[in-house]
Amino acid sequence: MNYFDVFGLPKRLNLDLKQLERTFHELSRKYHPDYFTTAAADDRLRALQMTATLNDAYRTLRHPVRRVEYLVEIEGFKPDGSKVPQSFLMEIFEINEQLEEVKAGRASKEQVANLRREIEERALAFESQLQAAAVEWDRLETSGTDEEQQKQQLSRLTEILSESSYIRNLERELEEKA
Amino acid sequence: MPRIVGIDLGTTNSLVAIVEDGKPRVIPGADGSNLVPSVVYFDENGTVLVGNPAREKMVEKPKNTIFSIKRFMGKGLADVRNDLSLLPFEVAPSSDAIIRLKAFGREYTPPQISAFILRELKQNAERALGEEVINAVITVPAYFNDAQRQATKDAGRIAGLDVLRIVNEPTAASLAYGLQERRQGTIAVYDFGGGTFDISILKLSEGIFEVLSTNGDTHLGGDDIDEQLIRLILSELKLSPETPHLAAIRKAARAAKEQLSSAETVEMTVEPLGFRRKITRAEFDVLIEPTVERTLRSCRQALQDAGLAASAIEEVVMVGGSTRIPLVRSRVQALYGRVPHTDLNPDEVVALGAAVQADILAGGKRDMLLLDVTPLSLGIETMGGVVSKIIPRNSTIPASASEKFTTFVDGQTNVRVHVLQGERELVKDCRSLAQFDLKGIPPMPAGLPLIEVKFLIDADGILSVSAQEQRTGQYQSVAVKPTYGLTDDEVEQMILDSFEHAEADIEAREVIEARNEAERVLLATTKSIAKKEFADLPAEEQAGITAAADYLRDIVKAPDHRAIREATERLDQATHHFAEILMNASIAEKLKDKRVREIE
Repeated sequence: MNYFDVFGLPKRLNLDLKQLERTFHELSRKYHPDYFTTAAADDRLRALQMTATLNDAYRTLRHPVRRVEYLVEIEGFKPDGSKVPQSFLMEIFEINEQLEEVKAGRASKEQVANLRREIEERALAFESQLQAAAVEWDRLETSGTDEEQQKQQLSRLTEILSESSYIRNLERELEEKA
Repeated sequence: MPRIVGIDLGTTNSLVAIVEDGKPRVIPGADGSNLVPSVVYFDENGTVLVGNPAREKMVEKPKNTIFSIKRFMGKGLADVRNDLSLLPFEVAPSSDAIIRLKAFGREYTPPQISAFILRELKQNAERALGEEVINAVITVPAYFNDAQRQATKDAGRIAGLDVLRIVNEPTAASLAYGLQERRQGTIAVYDFGGGTFDISILKLSEGIFEVLSTNGDTHLGGDDIDEQLIRLILSELKLSPETPHLAAIRKAARAAKEQLSSAETVEMTVEPLGFRRKITRAEFDVLIEPTVERTLRSCRQALQDAGLAASAIEEVVMVGGSTRIPLVRSRVQALYGRVPHTDLNPDEVVALGAAVQADILAGGKRDMLLLDVTPLSLGIETMGGVVSKIIPRNSTIPASASEKFTTFVDGQTNVRVHVLQGERELVKDCRSLAQFDLKGIPPMPAGLPLIEVKFLIDADGILSVSAQEQRTGQYQSVAVKPTYGLTDDEVEQMILDSFEHAEADIEAREVIEARNEAERVLLATTKSIAKKEFADLPAEEQAGITAAADYLRDIVKAPDHRAIREATERLDQATHHFAEILMNASIAEKLKDKRVREIE
């Protein structure tokens, strides 16, 4: 049973988060181990496992990026940082050099601010790319178009994830060091 | 359905509570007090005292009393080097995985010391309810790691309790506050106790209490504030912490701290040293400011993790004795821009909440449900000593994650897995939970076996592991040896030991009680024999009384409570008639007295 099945949802990426939460609460009230304390050992174990899966599913699906990562994973795709275009890597390399300057304490306040802005802009750009690709996936999934097109779209989503992981690392490093 | 009690096993005080007629109440001890001080006293005669009697010995016999044992739960020797001065007993050298205290020829681990306190609470509950109490919910700081939670569960088992659930203290407190009256809302619970600090942010919706984030420090509490005052006194007296008067100084520091919650100026006095010194609230505030600031840092992190601004918090609940400090209240109020709730007794609110959770487990309240989180990320060691996170912090529990492992060498049949808890990148900066070997992998070329390992954090926040080889479908044996704490066998042994010990304890108490009774009767007899009425008794009766008294005087020294009680009974019988004579004489005397006065 995949996480979408747990919530009785089709494998689509745009979710109604309010509805997701309502279902999460409903299912929690049904399966939570608190209600099985005095039950037989088998039922207790089942409640524990059901609830763990429910919580894992909710944690994954309510997060916009983890949700996409999960979808491509169950469809047999895997984000791979070594498969991004060379030109993209060069850009990252440049930003990374600036980050090294910040870490070494050699950057001015203005340079730090500029770097932060640049990284933020890139993060936002990835967010909208991912969003657009997700909308397209949902369209293909809903209309049930041919498998080849769906596969291409999954591969597109995987690419975006691979690239965006570089940006997320930069964001995290800047936060830690600056 | 047998009863389930709620227990707050605190650093300074412990309590037991139960829900009756839908309302939680704290069960007091035999001495009538709701709080059982978390203090245990040992002496060379094998006497063990718990709670108030033990606390009374703290100044007089500091070398025999253990307090704040909670700080040592789930810790190894290397973790607690700075706290070793708190312990009156020598620590055994074999304390790397668990602290072993040597007290008068026996070794005790922190779970065993905690078990003494739990047993006292269990007995208090049994006395009040008139039935055996086995099932319990025990609270722990939200920021407790896996080893600390397991140690608490072990303590419960050693005390003869079936611990049905470990509940986080701040979450328990939110249950006690009855905030479910409010159908929707976001709450912050600020829990500053004797030894630990927690902040939890909860979202309330139609009876579901969902924790969004939690943060804290399991080594930050009222003890640290005492420490500031102790250091001040020591430096003014030019004394080192090794002074034999440390316990008296600690007592003075605590008293001053507590009084400063209502007074503007107090005098700290250490009698044996003739030390007197005035301290103002303002001076105290400067002293504790850095400690309070540390708690606020955790509060800000919790807000960030929940993705909320401080202004989004609609209710603030204060828990723990240290929230009585005015500076703490004003800083928390300033942070959230809300007047915090302080209407429930901060010492009792966690125990009351534990009782509410116990009631939910017992099937009493189906409309309320607590969804808590794991405070620390769970990870596994990968190449180069780096930790790969598999369950992030603040994940709702129960939670699980699967990881696939393979072999690096042809025909390899073992794979070692190292599990850690913490937020840092490197293994050396995280807390090691356990290491285990995946054994019996069918010999195959390197990289071909696929072992899926499932990590499961249960509703208590405690980890378990299972594994399956994917190609053969074979389950692997996974014997997880915890890095810190006790193995199952050790806990079993301690349960057996505690039974022996408990029987010896009961025996010893019976002897003491029988002796006390015998001494009382002997004293009364000696007094009566001196009276003139004794000489008027027939010689035979006189001899009978003297013989019975002599016999009891002999037997009272023997450690046999049955013999002592029999001999006491014999003396009682022998003096029965004489006692009546004395009674009549006394009444006659009083009447005479009265008549004389009336005439006057």
